[in-house]
Amino acid sequence: MSANNELVQLHSIMDVLKSIDVGLVILDQHYDVHLWNGFMESHSGLSPEEATGRSLFTLFPEIPEDWFISKAEPVFQLKSQAFTIWEQRPYLVKFKNNRPITGRSEFMYQNTSIIPIESPSPDVSFVCLVIYDVSDIAVGKQDLMLVNDELAELGRTDALTQLFNRGHWEKILEAEFEREKRYNNEATLIMLDIDHFKNVNDTYGHQAGDDVIRTLSSIIRQTARKSDICGRYGGEEFGIILPETPVDQAEIFAERLRKKVEAAVIPADNHELQITISSGLASFDPSFEDHTQWLEASDKALYQSKENGRNQYTLYKPQS
Amino acid sequence: MTNQLITEDQRDCYQELSNVAMGQAADRLAQLLEAYIILPIPKINIIAPCDLHMALSGVDSEDKASSVCQGFIGSGIAGEALLIFNDTSFSDLASLMKYKGELDDQTQLELLMDVSSVLIGACIQGIGSQIDVSFSQSHPVVLGQHVSVANILQDEHTHWDQSLTVEIHYTIENMSVDCELLLLFTEDSIAKLNQRIDYLLD
Repeated sequence: MSANNELVQLHSIMDVLKSIDVGLVILDQHYDVHLWNGFMESHSGLSPEEATGRSLFTLFPEIPEDWFISKAEPVFQLKSQAFTIWEQRPYLVKFKNNRPITGRSEFMYQNTSIIPIESPSPDVSFVCLVIYDVSDIAVGKQDLMLVNDELAELGRTDALTQLFNRGHWEKILEAEFEREKRYNNEATLIMLDIDHFKNVNDTYGHQAGDDVIRTLSSIIRQTARKSDICGRYGGEEFGIILPETPVDQAEIFAERLRKKVEAAVIPADNHELQITISSGLASFDPSFEDHTQWLEASDKALYQSKENGRNQYTLYKPQS
Repeated sequence: MTNQLITEDQRDCYQELSNVAMGQAADRLAQLLEAYIILPIPKINIIAPCDLHMALSGVDSEDKASSVCQGFIGSGIAGEALLIFNDTSFSDLASLMKYKGELDDQTQLELLMDVSSVLIGACIQGIGSQIDVSFSQSHPVVLGQHVSVANILQDEHTHWDQSLTVEIHYTIENMSVDCELLLLFTEDSIAKLNQRIDYLLD
């Protein structure tokens, strides 16, 4: 191959490097810029002549100096490659999104590589900083995570009431049970049920029944504290876990809820309905073998409330 | 496990190659952490996708872990490195790396990236230099943080049948730092690797 041919090849490579759609910056061991390509020039607005000889950290004050040096130093020392990804820092240098109009992020997400390069003399060493635009990947991945979170949320919620559905609520109950067992905390479980709900459905229709359930759910939500865990257990049956709540406080809660429900006027169709609830309370007992026994205990108490005439709460008494 | 793809001699040779590369990587890690790295014996296997989790003898598949992967290719030999950290490792690792402040997900990601660039880079280059291949590395990708190992290695969408696997289980003396480095070479790379290994064996 003639020398002329090699020169042509070299020229082509230089041209390609200049116009390639990744950022290339050659840095010396003081982090001064020796060269950068067209990508860097276009995005920063600084020509190679303006950038050359100036510190990377002066040109881009947004780069955390210590952080970048800790990544780049091994490249100088060990001649190994280093990488940063957008999950660590969204960008190294703050450039605008390549698509300023339809791009979904204001800035360009970046991955970078720092690669060792041969130096012409032993007293200087150089590295090449390569900057990749990964905005589309980053935005796409974040969207996916958001949708996944929403799907997971949907899988946990009951559509009518927006409370936890039975499956998820029982899972929490199981976890709560294990926690109480381990730390011997006080906690109370309330199961409650709408009195004569079948009559509402039969007399006013299922639409009205749904309205009743929706209203009750919102009363439960308003009455519950942030730490309480409310779920729709069955058709008209609800469960509330009160963590770190001794039974006397749970009684106050159950009574307050009962009164609120009794007082509520529920508009359904052209009628105004009033309902009452019965509930059963069981505080955690270390003798329970699993969470289902806890559930059964409050169910028994709930049954007792129904037996005793409804619109009331009952405490579970072991062996009674 | 079928092992017709490599002979016993070749397996020994891969083990020796990995040993040298792993030693170099551990040396760099020791410099980075200023700690004594316990060197294990690398395990060489031919495995199928469904056996991938079994290759991870050092971590329980129910344990929560964080993981980074990175592809590499050179002279037609391709593969992927997988670094899996048991989540219990991070507090000790943070103190070794002199990270201050809260050990949140972001800090853990930094630790993961710092250690993986040292370990993966050194191992790949270590093996490459012995068989005279210069590997170029792709960008690392986070496979997951705080997920079960079984989830990291979902085998639903695999498009490979067998791979040559080097498993290296790093631990650090008196520390609960526990990480597993897997180098997986694709099936079509094995013949090319064998050729280069045979030079060394002659």
